[in-house]
Amino acid sequence: MIILENDTLDFRFPEVHEDARCSIGFQRTLRIPDDDTDYPLPPGLGPFPLRHLDDHAARLPDAWHRRGGVILPMHQAEAMWIDLSSECGYPFAVKIATGKICALSGDAWVNHLNRDPQDYVVLPEQPWLDGYCVERGVIRQFVAMPLGEGYTVEEQLSGVAAHGGLQVGAYPMKAERYGALLQEQSSMHYFGRMEAPRADMGLAPGGRMRQEIYDDPYGLDAWDQRHSSRCFITVANSMQWMAMTGEPPPLSPPTARTYTEMGLPWFEYYGGDAGAVAGAGKFKTISSVAKIAGAKGNPPLPDNEPIDVSHTVKLGRRGARQVREGAFTEVAGR
Amino acid sequence: MTQFGDNVRAVREQLRQDDRRFSLRQVAFRIGVEPAYLSKVERGDVAPPSEATTVRLARELGEDPDVLLAMAGKVSGDLQQIIRKRPRLFADLIRQLREAPDDAILRVVREVRDGEW
Repeated sequence: MIILENDTLDFRFPEVHEDARCSIGFQRTLRIPDDDTDYPLPPGLGPFPLRHLDDHAARLPDAWHRRGGVILPMHQAEAMWIDLSSECGYPFAVKIATGKICALSGDAWVNHLNRDPQDYVVLPEQPWLDGYCVERGVIRQFVAMPLGEGYTVEEQLSGVAAHGGLQVGAYPMKAERYGALLQEQSSMHYFGRMEAPRADMGLAPGGRMRQEIYDDPYGLDAWDQRHSSRCFITVANSMQWMAMTGEPPPLSPPTARTYTEMGLPWFEYYGGDAGAVAGAGKFKTISSVAKIAGAKGNPPLPDNEPIDVSHTVKLGRRGARQVREGAFTEVAGR
Repeated sequence: MTQFGDNVRAVREQLRQDDRRFSLRQVAFRIGVEPAYLSKVERGDVAPPSEATTVRLARELGEDPDVLLAMAGKVSGDLQQIIRKRPRLFADLIRQLREAPDDAILRVVREVRDGEW
């Protein structure tokens, strides 16, 4: 079952094990420059609000209502990262897709797990995902763009603008494997580490960032694929969000340049000896938002000038990447 | 000694074994209280702190704010607001579920609906 709690999707599988709980949140963040430089990890600027889609059914297009799930507001060209945690350290395989295209493999969404290529991340080893796995150790940031203009990964790989949004699915480890794992670890110290359907928003590939997607250390057989939950996260633009929920959307985040010039930190993460998966071959053919905008003769992305990041904080497995939200709204004066 | 103070001290001391930033002085500084006051709270010499301070303390220690508030004999402001809005309904609901096992309570928790996609 999935419960919406404090703007976080809380996946629970009490029928598998009492510890089988994980949570998935969506963090607002800086959009890194889309200039083919590899940037470090930007901060979290607080969670995007999430609401039950059913609470606003009367104001939604039928197609949105049929999907179920939740809605989330994003400004055009705003970036996000996905916050993954398993409080008890219970291992999970989590699939993440945008427009029903897997963010790791580039393949169309299927309800089961695949190992070759790996189309899921493993919790608690993977603390976050910031974008599409384009190369080993490099992702392209998730950036919101309107569906139907050719920017999204869905349109670039499937050729159609049908779904938009984000899709997540969680698969707990089999209870017996977890029991065996706990026994193995008992001798070690383990850290858990509206009527406007054409105006849908999708996610597109933005700037490059250094981030490893860790290889599954347990193997496909470890995951209990008989018990899984999935959720469609519909992304609404600011106007749609206001019209549907009556709530103002969050303020626009500060630019990467403003943030950096304030001397605030970026992050590097070291996940120990864990191996990283290679980038998906299918992502070799996709173009970034800035490149497509240039080819179309559209105005360049705003605030996309290269920046010099000199202040980075190194994080280990228990490091907190989150930065307090209030300071940024004050700093940015928005 | 109180359950609240005992729990705070036990969790903080455990964290301090791995990370010196969880000393009494540093935790007090980060949650905006005097170290002497936090020490008294941990010993149970004074009543648990305000709701806001308890929530900051819970977040600092990686504990659930609602659980720590309950140990402090408090109910969070947002829950109070929810109950005040429909007091009869929620009072009835809570009384009905008083003896229910966890799995029965989980069944009344609202799930995020999965649809066709």
